[in-house]
Amino acid sequence: MGWSLGANDTGNIFGAAVETRMLKFKKAALIAAIFITLGAVFEGSGPSNTLGRLGSVDALGGAFTVALAAALTITLIVRIGIPVSTSQTIVGAIIGWNLFTGRLTDYSSLITIASSWVMAFVLSASIAAILFHLVKPIINRSRTHLLVQDLMIRYALIVVGAFGAYSLGANNIANVVGVFVPVSPFKDLVLSSKITISGLQQLYLLGALSIVVGIYTYSHKVMRTVGKDLFHLSPITALVALSAEAIVLFIFASRGLYNILLNSGLPTIPLVPVSSTQVIVGAVVGIGLAKGGKNIRYNILGRISLAWIAAPVLAALISFILLFIIQNVFEQKVYQDTRYIFDRKSITKISEEGFDISCLSTVNGRTFTTEREIYQELSAQRSLGRDEIIRIIRLAEIHRLKVDYDKLMATGMDKSFSTAQLARLEAINERTYNHKWQLDADLAQEQEFEYYEEAASEREKNHNQILEGKLNILYRAFAIEDKSKKR
Amino acid sequence: MTKNSLGIYCNIDEIVIEGEIMALLLKTTRFVESQIDTFLDIVSDSATTFQLAVEDYLEGRTQQFEERLTQICDYEHRADDLRVSIERFLYERTLIPENRGDVLAILENTDEVIDNIKDSLLQFSIELPHIPSELNDLWMQTTRASVAAVEQLVYAVRSFFRDLSAVNNYIHKVYFFEREADHIGERLRRQIFGMEIELSRKSQLRFFAIHIEKISDAAQNVCDRLSIYTIKRQL
Repeated sequence: MGWSLGANDTGNIFGAAVETRMLKFKKAALIAAIFITLGAVFEGSGPSNTLGRLGSVDALGGAFTVALAAALTITLIVRIGIPVSTSQTIVGAIIGWNLFTGRLTDYSSLITIASSWVMAFVLSASIAAILFHLVKPIINRSRTHLLVQDLMIRYALIVVGAFGAYSLGANNIANVVGVFVPVSPFKDLVLSSKITISGLQQLYLLGALSIVVGIYTYSHKVMRTVGKDLFHLSPITALVALSAEAIVLFIFASRGLYNILLNSGLPTIPLVPVSSTQVIVGAVVGIGLAKGGKNIRYNILGRISLAWIAAPVLAALISFILLFIIQNVFEQKVYQDTRYIFDRKSITKISEEGFDISCLSTVNGRTFTTEREIYQELSAQRSLGRDEIIRIIRLAEIHRLKVDYDKLMATGMDKSFSTAQLARLEAINERTYNHKWQLDADLAQEQEFEYYEEAASEREKNHNQILEGKLNILYRAFAIEDKSKKR
Repeated sequence: MTKNSLGIYCNIDEIVIEGEIMALLLKTTRFVESQIDTFLDIVSDSATTFQLAVEDYLEGRTQQFEERLTQICDYEHRADDLRVSIERFLYERTLIPENRGDVLAILENTDEVIDNIKDSLLQFSIELPHIPSELNDLWMQTTRASVAAVEQLVYAVRSFFRDLSAVNNYIHKVYFFEREADHIGERLRRQIFGMEIELSRKSQLRFFAIHIEKISDAAQNVCDRLSIYTIKRQL
């Protein structure tokens, strides 16, 4: 996955610069490698929650297969000569996993992600068009010598490219290593009394390294596709497109910017992993429209758009087939066997959450092994919507947890939590739970672990979102084998 | 053989090596920029020298005319060397990758203007045509129009590098002076063939008149390309 990200998305950032021969491939690759790594390690904790909500791949074998399926799809489509979206293929692959394991896909999360793609495309087209209109009179009226202008554009391409690579690393690293965070085998590395590299940072570094390998092995070809075959850009328009891309990636990736907007009471932009491919194509279309729209090659644009629909579908298909092969031929566990019990405890909880339990009569006292079975039972009731059924399923899900404070400390995951939160975790050390919500409730005795029930302000929504991410880390870190389930 | 910056005669490779050393000392960009400027200075100087040389010839100052011819030959060599050096720098250091083909075409075509100037004067020196004094005025007018076209061309090329918005003004001027040179040249040729002299002399004088007109034609050729490259460079 890291490899395909390096090969595909770096092409999107530096393709135009390398193909207009303003930057040599080696230089571009070096800058990309350095800044993607920096972005990944220092701001990598960015937007990973949305993907997690779509479907949480809960076994290492499954995570590997999903990543492999996405990487294969990207390679396949890139070979045809069309830049493809990394985010789209990973979403497709996760849906493939959902289909294989009988889990339900959360449509509202899917819509959030899909709309962010459209938003990123439109936003980058608008930013590129505005930038183009700003730059045009400056360049046309500038009295700088052509050679000096060339030199300035080169430096600007390096700076903006580095910024873009940093944002890309921050935005997309979570897609690469996010699923491996709770199972990370890395221990903290103490270099000196002051410098410690946490296990988490080591994991991000490993992800970044795989991206670097992708950059050096395959991205040159992708750069050629992006920079030459699809749309011919001049160095100045390449700079405009790259700037728009870097800005959009940064907007969607930076928690820092998010916090600034939040603290100054301005509306925030959701932190979601966007596709650098859609962003760069959007930027180029924006420039094309700003130039009057005559020079856009609509047939190629059509081909790209078609690939955007084909990519997730293909990824889902490949993911499904691979999961079947990995599970049955290699006998690897691709998902945790999960049970859903509608016993007294979970029914009470469901009722507490405000659901009318009379509609649960058909499932009361029963145990299910797939989400789809419950969905079929409950959807027959007609009184429950899909989202409500998904919420009910989450409450009935058995997810055996045992709080392991030492594991948190050993893997460096404690860095994500505040002192008060750590104190609460230490207090409940060694306790075991059957449901996720039981752990939530136990943790919520510490104020910082409490959700805002009716989050109205952006600040409260942000708190909930961060908390959700932290709890997801805990669910995975504390997961233990459900001994009572049948093999 | 060409004089280098220290005034020592050397060949083109030595000039390029000297350029490499200079480029290490100065910034490459600034160095190539100054080379292009020097090249254009030479074109401008050649045009002015050409006008003075024609004047000298018409006034019978043969010695001075020959000195100016030598000067123009020197200019032509230096322009060639500079052009080669600029070419090497642009390609070896991948400078202005998007425009270097255009820039080289402009430099090569501008170089042809100097070649035309040199050829014309050289032909005077070889054939020593006798020009009747009543033709002097029209002869000088044609020469001045051609030289003006070359000077405007130099402005146009400089603007192409520094001030894109001004290029078209200068191109317009080049076209104007080219038409002017054609117009006066035609009158000159009509006057030549209206004179009571031998047909062989008429034919020889016509050849020289056309040669002077050709200088402005060469300037116009550069402008034809320049106007397209300017559109290409505009956003």
